Amino acid sequence: MKEIVKIAMALTISCLVAGSVMGGVFMVTAEAKKRNQQQNRQETMFELIAPELPGRSDRAAENLSLHSIYRYIIQDNDRTDLGYLAPVEQEAGVVYEMWVLDLEGNLIDRRRLGLSPETAMEKPDRDAAVTAALGPGQQARYADTMIIAAANGERIAYLLPGEFSGFKTFIHVMAALDADFNLLGLEIMDHEEDPGLGGEIEKPYFKNQFKGKSLEQLRDLDVIKEPLPDDYRHFLEKTAAREDLVRIGKAYQDEDIHAIAGATISSRCVTDGLKRMVKKSVYRIKILDRVISKNHIPAAM
Amino acid sequence: MPATTKTNKQLFVNGLLNENPIFRLALSMCPAVGISTTVMNGILLGVAVLFVQVFSSCTISLIKHHIHPRIRIPTYTLTIATWVTVIDLVLAAYVPAAYEAMGIFVRLIVAFAIITMRLEVFACKNDLVPSFWDGMGMGFGFMFGMVVLGAIREILGMGALLGYDILGFRPMLFFVLPAAGFFMIGFMMAIFNYVETLYNRGRKERKAI
Repeated sequence: MKEIVKIAMALTISCLVAGSVMGGVFMVTAEAKKRNQQQNRQETMFELIAPELPGRSDRAAENLSLHSIYRYIIQDNDRTDLGYLAPVEQEAGVVYEMWVLDLEGNLIDRRRLGLSPETAMEKPDRDAAVTAALGPGQQARYADTMIIAAANGERIAYLLPGEFSGFKTFIHVMAALDADFNLLGLEIMDHEEDPGLGGEIEKPYFKNQFKGKSLEQLRDLDVIKEPLPDDYRHFLEKTAAREDLVRIGKAYQDEDIHAIAGATISSRCVTDGLKRMVKKSVYRIKILDRVISKNHIPAAM
Repeated sequence: MPATTKTNKQLFVNGLLNENPIFRLALSMCPAVGISTTVMNGILLGVAVLFVQVFSSCTISLIKHHIHPRIRIPTYTLTIATWVTVIDLVLAAYVPAAYEAMGIFVRLIVAFAIITMRLEVFACKNDLVPSFWDGMGMGFGFMFGMVVLGAIREILGMGALLGYDILGFRPMLFFVLPAAGFFMIGFMMAIFNYVETLYNRGRKERKAI
């Protein structure tokens, strides 16, 4: 009995020590890690939209602006509504409003939030503003974000951050669509697949296979277990000769996704996850556009 | 095993050759088979193991008198998990470039047999300095094994080395697949054993003379 107590004590103390060491390091590094991730995200977004532009300053000169749209799910007893937080032009500048939509996509209500684009980016501030704008008995839950990129007032791209389950845990990605919903590219942000196998999803020869697929192609895109042809691989890894690029691109335009050798499940997870993500987002964009034009909302996006 | 009588240099070489984690001790075979497809993977995983092994060995050798003998293994696992988490967080915060390349490797390490085994047979019976050199030896031994396997598999499987195309064609694509890892490790073990037999025979003959 005494022995058991001693063992339990020793184990508890070791766990406490280990826990406090990890917690301490986390507290010290959390800020820097978050900053790195945000910077990484920013760079990924710019690279997906405009890969040919090298420096940041050029991009700013191009008058590129990014508008985030946050989606919340609003529960009121048995009733479910959707709350879209979107930027609206006003005399004082751009502010965020919440548009409450029912599940059919009809606008029920527009609510002022008094959030600037900068404060809307901070999740705690945003959550507080949404909660304050809700009616009695309603509860809101954050669902996802969608980013609309515009240059000189014209929409040029949609950026879709998302996550879906992979072979082991969640795979976080960022997909980009152009104004006609063709895939501009896919970037794997974070994952815990096995290095050398599922981890290959972040390699150009896999992720670039999605580039340039249209919405129709994406709908019935399949995963095939065939070796990647050599010229296609060079094309995807950007090592092909310049004059061959157009020819190879055309030849493989309708190609299905070649699974990674030894990681068919991971390949399938990414393909299916991306398909679902894009399909839902396109549906939502169309609904929002209908709401905007029907209700004459001066949306800033 | 009582406290070691070997010198630091002997400890280091011991990890590299006599007790090479992959080819002699046959520990941590899953990553050795799965990940040693390229030289770069080998180096990155090797570096990650080296750091975790050295830090964990040093920690355990420092607190060895306070560990209750019946909860040794949980304590080792806890130590390794702590170091893995700390390294993961620090890399993510201050060296994002390295984290991007090594992040997934570091997170794999918690369950590596080689680290737990080294803590059990060595670090918990020896002082800080020998434990440090044993950890270094094991870490570099593991890296050496991974790099050798990675080089052979990358050349045979992809015709390249460190990502640079060398042969211009791919002799046997089979070698990048996981199954080939078993063949490679088997061959390497055979070579190590053969060399050792030759060496021992030579020594016996020298003695006889």
